[in-house]
Order: sequence, then structure tokens, then C-alpha cells
Amino acid sequence: MAASYLPENVLNERRTVTYRSLSRALKVHATLAKQMLFDFHRTENAKKPQSVHATYVISGIQKPPPPPETNGHGANDEDAIMQSSPYMPSSMPNQDPADAVRVTSIILTREENLEAAKSTFESVSTIHVYSVQPTVLQDLNVLTDVSRETWSAHVHEDPLEFGKQWGMIQNTHVQRRTGTRPPAPAPAPAPAVEAAKTSESTVPAKRPFQEEAPPKKADERASKQSTPASDSQSSAKPATKAAPKREKSDLFSSFAKAKPKQKKAEDVVLDDASEEEPEELFPDQGDKKTEPANRESRKEREEKLKQMMENDDGDDEEMPDADEEEPPREPTPPVEAPPKPAELKEEATVQGGRRRGKRQVIKKRTVKDEEGYLVTREEATWESFSEDEPAPKKKPAVQVGKGKAGKGQGQGQGQGQGNIMSFFGKK
Amino acid sequence: MVSETTDYGFLRPPDNTDHEPAYRVQSHYKPLHTFRLPAGAGRHYKQQYGDMYFLRLAHLKPAVEKVATEAWEGFNIAGEHARRVDRVLDVRQGELCWVAGTVYMDLPLKPNILDDLTKENFTSAPPPRRTYVDPSNPALTEIMMEDESGRLRLTGAGLASTHLATGAIIAALGTENSNGDFEVIDIKVPDLALQPRRWAGDKEGKATRPGKIAFVSGLGITGTSSDTLALELLSEYLLGYTGFSGDTENSPSADASTITRLIIAGNSLGARIVTELDSDNAPGEKKKAAPKKYGYDAASYNASPITHLDNFLAEILPSIPVTIMPGDSDPANFSLPQQAIHRAMFPQARAYATAPPTAGEIDPQAGWFDSVTNPWEGDVEGWRLWGCSGQNVDDVLRYLDFTGDDGEEDDSDARLRIMEAMLRWRCGVPTAPDTIWAYPFQEDDPFVLQSCPHIFFTGNQPKFDTRVIEGQIPLHLDGDGGDDTEMADAADTSSARVRLLSLPRFGETGELVLVDTETLEVEVVRFGVFGGQ
Repeated sequence: MAASYLPENVLNERRTVTYRSLSRALKVHATLAKQMLFDFHRTENAKKPQSVHATYVISGIQKPPPPPETNGHGANDEDAIMQSSPYMPSSMPNQDPADAVRVTSIILTREENLEAAKSTFESVSTIHVYSVQPTVLQDLNVLTDVSRETWSAHVHEDPLEFGKQWGMIQNTHVQRRTGTRPPAPAPAPAPAVEAAKTSESTVPAKRPFQEEAPPKKADERASKQSTPASDSQSSAKPATKAAPKREKSDLFSSFAKAKPKQKKAEDVVLDDASEEEPEELFPDQGDKKTEPANRESRKEREEKLKQMMENDDGDDEEMPDADEEEPPREPTPPVEAPPKPAELKEEATVQGGRRRGKRQVIKKRTVKDEEGYLVTREEATWESFSEDEPAPKKKPAVQVGKGKAGKGQGQGQGQGQGNIMSFFGKK
Repeated sequence: MVSETTDYGFLRPPDNTDHEPAYRVQSHYKPLHTFRLPAGAGRHYKQQYGDMYFLRLAHLKPAVEKVATEAWEGFNIAGEHARRVDRVLDVRQGELCWVAGTVYMDLPLKPNILDDLTKENFTSAPPPRRTYVDPSNPALTEIMMEDESGRLRLTGAGLASTHLATGAIIAALGTENSNGDFEVIDIKVPDLALQPRRWAGDKEGKATRPGKIAFVSGLGITGTSSDTLALELLSEYLLGYTGFSGDTENSPSADASTITRLIIAGNSLGARIVTELDSDNAPGEKKKAAPKKYGYDAASYNASPITHLDNFLAEILPSIPVTIMPGDSDPANFSLPQQAIHRAMFPQARAYATAPPTAGEIDPQAGWFDSVTNPWEGDVEGWRLWGCSGQNVDDVLRYLDFTGDDGEEDDSDARLRIMEAMLRWRCGVPTAPDTIWAYPFQEDDPFVLQSCPHIFFTGNQPKFDTRVIEGQIPLHLDGDGGDDTEMADAADTSSARVRLLSLPRFGETGELVLVDTETLEVEVVRFGVFGGQ
């Protein structure tokens, strides 16, 4: 895997790989990842010039730039002015003159500009490869998307555990509250889906889901015994394998992540929900072509989506609801009465023994309309409530069922429509 | 290709060396809750602001009078001795005297609450102005001194040599002229407050490796991808992924593992979000599938800036503790002291914060991720820090006209001078109830600097600048002529040294400021992209 990751992603998939995404994907130290990128860049370009482009990070002390930015270095002349300090003429023998502040720089540059960039440095402390990509990056900001993708793909990997592996500076004093982040569930389902995906890319739609446990192992196998397995596979079916692999690293793990980790994933949800909504309609359409039975369910779905938007107060306790509504978006939605927006509903989740949730209430709202009239309307709004009595512990059950259902559909859908998943995955 | 002469440890094929994990220096941290307002029902806005001025004067008058007495004792002009006058109304015409009081400046462009009320402008914050003075008509600027008895207009050459702002407590020496104005000869301010020793607020000793405190302000995250590349580099630097190589001879700069704490001084979110959204909404935006929405309007609420901030924090928090102050563009209350950004804004980062305080618990231990007030005061690595996100300096700057000196490019220096003046006024936000919205404090004016900090920082300034200022060393040399070490000790206790930091906006400059915890030396790390195109 280690050996094939870069060619697959950069050459076949034409993706940008940064040292951090590499380090995360292969679970290697950042330094090693930088060296791998360098090595890859050199060998590929030796084979075929200009096939791989790189960006570099230079750190060191830059020459003081000529006219504009005289930060720090300009302090001298300013101090000269200072001597006449207007506030306290009597108490001024004080400033350290020439408080020469050292300015060090960490600059990201394209391969093409590397020498030019280096020439602006007085002394260079470090240069390392930041990323490699098949084309020249017109806009370096693309790199942030890569890291964001990486971040969301690996969000379930606890940095406190893996940080050492990546070469993060360790802090022995870090305090994190337990209980906020569900530690266990995240990794388990992710590999499950993932492994199912890699091992069989053509899964029959209705498949029993007993492989909860084995896939996990399978995944461990897949990721751990990296090189031999992937080498043998890559020779067998290089092209097809590339796709699932890729999905494995981002789509599926992020898909899985959305489910068990309501809290952690929430912001991702909010974020992408707003941006990717339009795209989300496409998978639906795709569904319909294959399964016309879904036609009316789509309306329901939209209604639910809308309702979700209404609910979207940014509460943590949102997510379970969202999850429950997620299955309908899959090709085989359970027959479920569409929730009427008008009727007063109540949704509650139990968390830490406290029952919280939202209920719909009719509220009178008086607003001034465009013509300046006061209009009073009755509106159904959602308000959150919480009760201290512990409600029946229904959440674990829900989660299990949900996990299964979600996975089942994930697999069912997996055949031939892998990319649809990405939309749900981001969700 | 890179020249093969030097590989910096990275430009070479992978080898299988084991990488020793780096460990971060521990942070000793003790925030003070000077600016925390009572929660919920305990917070009232009915009080009059006059109490704040009264409290400030009551607290600082003795200090300034002490300074003035020392300076002007026996001062005489043509045989007439300067007399101390208690209240400004007791000043007699033609008599050389000195008096202490609060400065009040009336400026032509200063926002006036009465004007706002008559124009029905009172619902929203006034648009910020660059300056309150009218350079074309300096005569409109009136400087007055007031106390509980009345007001006295100040004039004269003594004023020209100094810059003042509303709310500062000063003592003025002079005489009342025939117009009833007070001709100022000299002015004294309270000067630096007593500075605690390092580790004064802490029992535990100085058992740490030397480290650095990192300051950043004005991250200005807007949620677009364009502003996050430098932020990306910043987090990678703080986490130790990138940055400087270990060999010390050509990388003298900080190894990131020595950075003990990151302090974010306000404006983590970009201010342009609102206007962007307005322009988004204005043209015929495709309104699809959204006939009616209840609750907040999801279309006009853009969660991505705060989400990016949360991601950034959640990424660095496993390695470095963070203190975050709100700024004027952050989701916190607008009036000073701005209360901490609520933890609900940080769904991920809050795992590192303290648990929500349960009822009855007054002072929970500071969290690893500490969302604090603005201004904020606290002990970091034994040093007392006092910082604000920039509103204080920005506002005082509007009172003063620095353009006369040598063009307005001298701005930054002016900002340091204002910061110094604040310390000498012993008031961190002098203009607070007047032109900065503030909570009407009743028992206490927290903006008064009870003790002099070691590091005084202001965020969101146009560019980085720093300076060390010292308090006046009182002339105690007359005493018991002890040996040199005693003298040194005495000097050490009495003269305060303060490191002033004017922190640049990271969003514009990409600069992170590091302060050494032993020497208070400052350095800057700049993140950027070479070649904009």
C-alpha cells in the first residue's frame, strides 16, 4: 500500500497529495512522508519529466524586503522618533533601542518558484516537499481543500492516540473531557463498510450483515500488511482497485463517521450541508432511474430535508434525528409516513441521563411587513427542552439498528454507484 | 529540481530512522476572572455609567496625587508656591495650584448618544469612524478635567506636549486665567502600577524549561478557502509538522515544541461575512425549495467560518493549550468586557474545555482550551498578561491626531505610544463608557489596572510592533547607602518593565508572535505563500 499509494493517487487519480494526507493515510511520521514525497517526485520525474509537480515549504530567515514591510526591522527608526515621547516627557530614558526582532518565515512555494523563493531568504533552515500533484497548481489554495478532505476522512482517528505516529508534538498535560467524544464506535463501523467495499466491489444488493466483526479485521489486514497485498492486487486489477481504494480513504470513512459520532461530525454536517445541497439531488435522480418506486418517496424526503433545515438550530442533539432520517435517502427507503410539518411533534434524545430534545409549539409572532403593518401570525416553531428524568435508554438500540441499516444500504448501493455514496458520506 | 548539496533532512529518500516524539513544554496558566460579568439575572443594564468614572477617580486619584506631590512639592513660580486643590471647583483664578481629575474630551466628530437618540440611531452600534477629531478645525477640540464637583476647561502649552483621552486620570499644574480656563503648565499621570514579581500569582515554582508564549490575533477566517492556507501552515507549525529543522546553528528560531500556549487575541472570524452575505442575498439568488423557513434563516447564516475555526482549534488542541479572546467581529457580546465565546460555538474544541460549570461551582479550574473575556488578564508562565483585542487602542487613537507628525504612516508607533500611555494612566480601556460600549459596572471599575502586567498586548493592529517600557525609578537613593546588591534588589522591585506587543492581524500579515518566557524577547514567525499568482 505504501508503495502504491502515491502512484495511484497522483498518477492515476490525478489527485494532490500533501505530506500530511500521506502521513495520515499511511499512518507514518510526517518526516517520513515528506521524504516519500520527495522520493516519489524525483523518481517519477526521472522516468517522465514533468509528470509530477511539487510544492515546497521553505523556512528560515528572509532578507528584509526592500520597501514595504519593514516590520521589526523598522523598529529602529521608529524608536528614534520615540525619544520625544509626548506622553511622559519626564520618564523617557527607557526603551530598549533597536529592539531587533527576528522575523522568521515559513513560506509555501511552487516548484517553479523554488529558486526564486530561496533567493529571498538570507538563511534557509529547512526545505521540504509539501505536496505533489500531477499538474501545476494554479491556485495554491487548493491545498487547503486537500487538508480539509484529509481531516474529515480521518476525523475519527483520535489525535491523542495517533499524534505520535504522525510526528505531532506531544503534550503530556493535555486535558480532555471524557464523555463528549464517543471513543469506541467510530473506528468500528468505518472499517466495516470500507472492508466490505475493498474485498468485494460487486456486492449483491440484499446481503446479510453478519460481517460486523470480520470486516474490521479485514480492514486491519488491508491497512497493515500494506505492500504485499496491494502489490499482488495492483497487478491483478490496477484500475478497478484504485477507485475503491480512494473511496476507502475518504468517502466511506467519512460516511461511516457521520453515524456514530453525532457530536464530532456535527460541524462537518452543518458545513457541507449548506454547500452541497444541490449536488445531493443528483443521487436521488439517479436512484429513480433505477428504482421508480422511489418517486413518491422523494417528496417525503424533501419534506424531511426541509424539516431538518428548520430544525437545524445547531443543537448537538440534532444528529440522531438526522440519522434516523438518513435511511430514506437510500435507494430502498422504509415506508414511513411523511412527517406533517403542521402537526406538533416532539423529538427527544437521551444523553448522559438527561433527556433533551425539541418539540414543536405554536407561537404567535408579530412582525412588521413591508408596508409597515403589524401582522400577527401563528407559526409552528421548534423549541428545545430538556428534562432531568432519565428516559428509557433507547439510544444504543437505535444505534445498532441504524448502523446495520445504514451499512446494509451502503452495501446494497455500493454496486456500480459508488460515487453516490460520496454525497451521503459528506453529509 | 532542488540542488543536491543539502537535503535538510527531508529532501532525500525515506530512511527508516525512528523519529523521537517531541514533547511540549508545560504551560503554567492561571487566568484571572477580572472581566467576567455575573451570569444571567445578575447582569443588569439599568445602572448609570457615572459610577464607573467615580470609581475610577476614587481609585486612581490617590496614586496620581502621590506622583504629583512628589513632583511639584515646593514648585514655585516667582515666589508663588503651587498649592494642591482638592476639587476642580475650588480652583481660584490667578492662583498657582494643581488639581487631579478625570479627563473629558469633547471632539467634533465624537458620537453623541443624544444625537443618536434624536435620529433614532440607537438600535445598532455606530459605524466606526477613523477619528473623532476634525483636523481642519482643531479649535473644536475641548479638553476638560472633571471630578464629582464639576468641570474645568484645560488650555495652554502644557497640553500640546501630551496626548490625552477621555477617562484618563491626571493631575494638572497651572492657573486659572481670566476666561475661566485652566492654563496647564505640567501634567502628571498615575504612572505604572505596582508590578508583581514573576510567579507572584502562583505557588508552584519556576520548574519549567524555558518556553515561548505564542500570540496571534485577527485570524480573520471567513470560510472561503483563500484565507486558510496560512492558517494551515500555522497549525502545522504549531503541531510540529513543519517549521524549522533541529540543527540549531542555522535555525535559531523556535522549535515549536517550546511554545507552551497559544493566545488568540480576538477577531478569529473575518468581519466581512455579514457584508458578503448581504451581497449574496441582494441579487436574484436562486431561491429553490425554500418557501418559508422558521427559526433562523439557513440561507443567510453561514456556519463555515466558525466551523473552520473550530476545526483549527480541534486540530491544534491535542498538542497545545489555547486561550481565545473574542474580538469585535467574533460571536460574543459587543460591549466591553466581551464575555467568552460560548463553548457551543466549538462543538469539537470544547471537548478540551472545562465542563460547563454546575450550579454553585464558582471558579472551575481553567480548561486546556480556555475561552476567555476581552479584555483579559491572567498569569502565563508566571508572567502577568493583560490584553485586549484592540478596541481600546483603536478607540483612543480616534481621539488623537497623529497625522501632524509625519504623515499617518506613523500609525503603528502611535499605537505603541497609546499602549504605553494606558499603562501609565493605569487604565486599560480609558474611553470605555464614553466611546466604547461597556457594561455599567457598579462596584468596581475593572478597566483600572490594579497591578502592572509584564506583557501588555493589543490585538488586531495593522502591523507588528513591540517595545519595552519601564516605570519611573523612584529616587530612593538618599537612603541608607547599603551595598550594591541591596541597591539592585531595590531597583528590581520598584521599577516595572513591561513588554508591549502590538499584534498584527494574522489574516493580513500571516504573523505569529512568540515571546520568550525567560527573557520576554520577542520574535515573529511569518507564514505565507511565495508569489501570489
